[in-house]
Amino acid sequence: MAQTEARRLQSAGVQVTTDAETRQVTWGARLLQWFLDLLTLAYFAFALFPLVWMFLLSLKPQSELYSTYFRFSPTLDGYRAVLGIGGTEEIPFLRFFFNSLVVSVGAVAVSLLVGLPAAYAFARWKFRGSESLLFTLLSFRFAPELMVIVPLYVIYQRIHLFDTRLGLVWVYQLITLPLIVWILRSYFQDLTPELEQAALLDGYSRTQAFIKIVLPLVRPGLAAAGLLAFIFAWNAFAFPFVLTGSNAQTVTVGALSFLGGAIPRYNLTAAAALISLVPPLILALFIQRFLVRGLTFGAVKG
Amino acid sequence: MTRSGVRDGHGGFGLSRLSRRQLLEAMAGAGAVAVAGSLPRVARAQDSEANDVTGPFDWKRESGKTIKALLNTHPYTDALKADLGRFTELTGIEVQYDEFPENNYFDKLTVDLQSGQPTYDVFMLGAYMVWQYGPPGYLEDMLPWIQNPSATNPEYDWEDIYPNLRTSDQWNFEIGSPLGTGGQYALPWGFETNTITYNREVFEKVGVKPAETFDELIELAAALKEKAPGAGYPDMYGIGARGSRQWATIHPGFMTQYSREGGKDFELVDGELKPVMNSPVAVEFTQKWAQMIRDSGPANWTNYFWYDVGSDLGGQKAAMIYDADILGFFQNQPGASAAAGKLAWHPGPKGPDGSLATNQWIWSLGMSAKSKNKLAAWIFLQWATGKDHLLRAALEGNHVDPVRRSIVENPDFQAKMANNADYLTTFNAIIEETKILFTPQPRFFETTTLWAGALQQIYGGADAQETLDDLVSQIEEQLEE
Repeated sequence: MAQTEARRLQSAGVQVTTDAETRQVTWGARLLQWFLDLLTLAYFAFALFPLVWMFLLSLKPQSELYSTYFRFSPTLDGYRAVLGIGGTEEIPFLRFFFNSLVVSVGAVAVSLLVGLPAAYAFARWKFRGSESLLFTLLSFRFAPELMVIVPLYVIYQRIHLFDTRLGLVWVYQLITLPLIVWILRSYFQDLTPELEQAALLDGYSRTQAFIKIVLPLVRPGLAAAGLLAFIFAWNAFAFPFVLTGSNAQTVTVGALSFLGGAIPRYNLTAAAALISLVPPLILALFIQRFLVRGLTFGAVKG
Repeated sequence: MTRSGVRDGHGGFGLSRLSRRQLLEAMAGAGAVAVAGSLPRVARAQDSEANDVTGPFDWKRESGKTIKALLNTHPYTDALKADLGRFTELTGIEVQYDEFPENNYFDKLTVDLQSGQPTYDVFMLGAYMVWQYGPPGYLEDMLPWIQNPSATNPEYDWEDIYPNLRTSDQWNFEIGSPLGTGGQYALPWGFETNTITYNREVFEKVGVKPAETFDELIELAAALKEKAPGAGYPDMYGIGARGSRQWATIHPGFMTQYSREGGKDFELVDGELKPVMNSPVAVEFTQKWAQMIRDSGPANWTNYFWYDVGSDLGGQKAAMIYDADILGFFQNQPGASAAAGKLAWHPGPKGPDGSLATNQWIWSLGMSAKSKNKLAAWIFLQWATGKDHLLRAALEGNHVDPVRRSIVENPDFQAKMANNADYLTTFNAIIEETKILFTPQPRFFETTTLWAGALQQIYGGADAQETLDDLVSQIEEQLEE
C-alpha cells in the first residue's frame, strides 16, 4: 500500500523519501550535529583555557609557581594578599578597584547624559556641520592616546586634575562618548519617526515623546552602548597610567604592581585580574536580557 | 620574535609598528634633539642653586616642606619606604611618593620629565638614562651640591661610594668623552653586578664545578642540560640568560662576557663613534653565545626578560644563570622559591687575559632640574644615599649590593650575607673591575635594541658575520641621523 501511494505521489510530481533514505538523512544530520557540537566544545575549551590557567595560577603558592603545572597545593593566600585580608596591605588593590568603579560608572553616566540627546539629534536632524561634528567625535578614537598624552599631562597639572577621579571621568569621555553617540545614533535611525509623530499628534511634547516613547524602545541600544562603554572605560590603561599617581590609580595600572619587585608574583596578578573581571561580568549578565533587541522594531513598518 | 615593549602589558595604543616604550623613547629623543639644538644643554655649575646655600649645614633647614618622589617597585625601594618616617623626623621634610613597576616606570618618568613641568622632585633612574635625560637638561647636576659644605652634611663621605659607581653617573654629554667627566647627574643608590648564579645541589649531583673559561662554560651548560634531567630535575636546561629584543638582553651576561673576551661596542675614530660589533672577536663570541643558548638555554629564549631568568633559576628549570647577582639572591631567600637555600655565586669565566670586566646596572637617584624644592630634594638625596640609611636598608631590608664600601665591609652585613654561598666573595672578586662597559651616547637604547635583534637572528640560524655587518650599517645610519 505504501509503495503504491509513493508511486502515486511521485507520478503527481511530489518528491517522496523512503524509510531507508530517511534513516540515512537522519544519521547524516546527527553526524553533522555531533561534529558541530565537538567543534563548539573545542572552541569553548580554547576560549576558556586562559581563564582556567589564570584561575589555577591564582591558587598556586609562590614556591610552586614555576615548578608545576597542574599538581600543587592550592591556597587562597593570593586572593587574601590582593584583598589585604589578614595582613598588612602591601598594594592597595581595593582602592584601585573602587577608583575603577567610580571613574567607569561616572564616565558612562556623563557620556549617556550628553551622548543620548546628541545621538538623537544626529539621527533625527540634519543641521549645519552635523556630519563634521559626528566625525570629530569619532576622530577621538583615531589618534593613539600617546599622541595627546603629554599635552594632556601638562594641562592636567596646571588645572590640578592630575591624579584625581574627576580628571579621569573627564578624559574617559574621549573613549566612551564616541561609542555611545555612534551606537545610539544607529538605534535611533532604526526607529521609525512615525512613532514620535503619532505621539505628537496625541498631544505629547517633543521631550515627552522622547522620554515616554523613544527611550523605552531603545533600551536594548542603551544597554549595549552602556555596557561597551563601561568595558572600554574599565579596561583603559594609557590615560590612568599617565594621568594618575597613587590616589586615583585604577585596577589596570594597579594590578601590574604585583609584577614589580624582587620576584614577579604572577599568582597575585592572576588573582587581581580575576577579581577585576567581576564588575563587567555582573553587568553583562544583568543587562543580558536587554541586549536582545525588542520585537517593537519594525512593528509599524510595512 | 617579540618587539621591545610588547610584554610591557597593555599594547592597545593603536600603534601597530611602534611599541609604547619605543614611541616614548623617540619622543624623549626628539625632545633631546630640539632642546639641545636651541638652548645651552645644561645649567653651568656656577649657576647652580646649590651656590645660594650658605651657613652651617642643618638637617632642619627645609623643615615643613614636602617633596614628591617617583619610585620603581624594588626591594631597595621597600627598604627606603620603611625608613621614610625616620627621615621626616630628622629633617621635618615630608616625602610623598608614587610607585610603579619597572615595566611602566620609565614611561612614566619620561612623560613627566618631557612635560617641562615635572611633578616629581626626585626619582630613580639607571646610569644609562643619564645619557638620555641629561642632554635635554632634565637632570640637576649634583656636583655643586656635594661640594658645598653648607648644603651637605659633613658625614656624607662621597668617597666611600665605589669610584666606578660614582663615575658611571657622571658625563659631559660630549660624544667620545668617557664616563667620569662633566657633571654628576645622579647619585648611585643601589646596584647589581653580573655573575653566574648556580644551583649547588644540581652541580653536586651532576658532579660539575663552575666554569673558568668561556669554552668551559659552553661545555658545562651542555653537560648540565644533558645530565640534570637524569639527576632528578626534569625539564632542566643548562644556562639562563635574557633574550627579548630589547637593550636589557645585551647589558647583563652577554656584555660582561663579550668584554672579557675582548669585544667592544664602539671605537672613537677621528672624533666620531664607529660601531665595532662586527670585529673578528665580536663575531666569534656572538656566534658562540647564540650557539650556547640554542643548545643549552631555554626553549623560548627570545621572550626572556629578567624575571623569566630569575623565575627559572628559582623554579629549578635553569641549572645556572648569567645575570644580575641580586636576581638569584631574592630567589635564594627562605620560602621564595623551590631553589631557596641551594644557590651559590661565581664570578663567571675569565677572559683570555684574565679579565673579570663586569657590566653593572646602577639604581641611582636623580633630581629634576626644574624642581622648585631643590634644597629639600637635595637633603633627601644625601640622606637616601648616606651611610646611615643605606646601612639600615642593608641590614633590615634587602638592599644588597651596597654602593658604599663601608657597608660591604660591615661585619653585621657580612654575617647577614653568609647564608648566600660565595655571594660576597664573588662580589669582592669583581667589584674593582665592575663598571659600565658601554660607550656613553644618547642613542644607547636604540642601538642596543638593534644589537639584541641581531643576536636573536643569529640565535635563529642567521650568519653571524653578515648579521653583525648589517647591524653596524644600521647603527652607523642611526648615528648619522
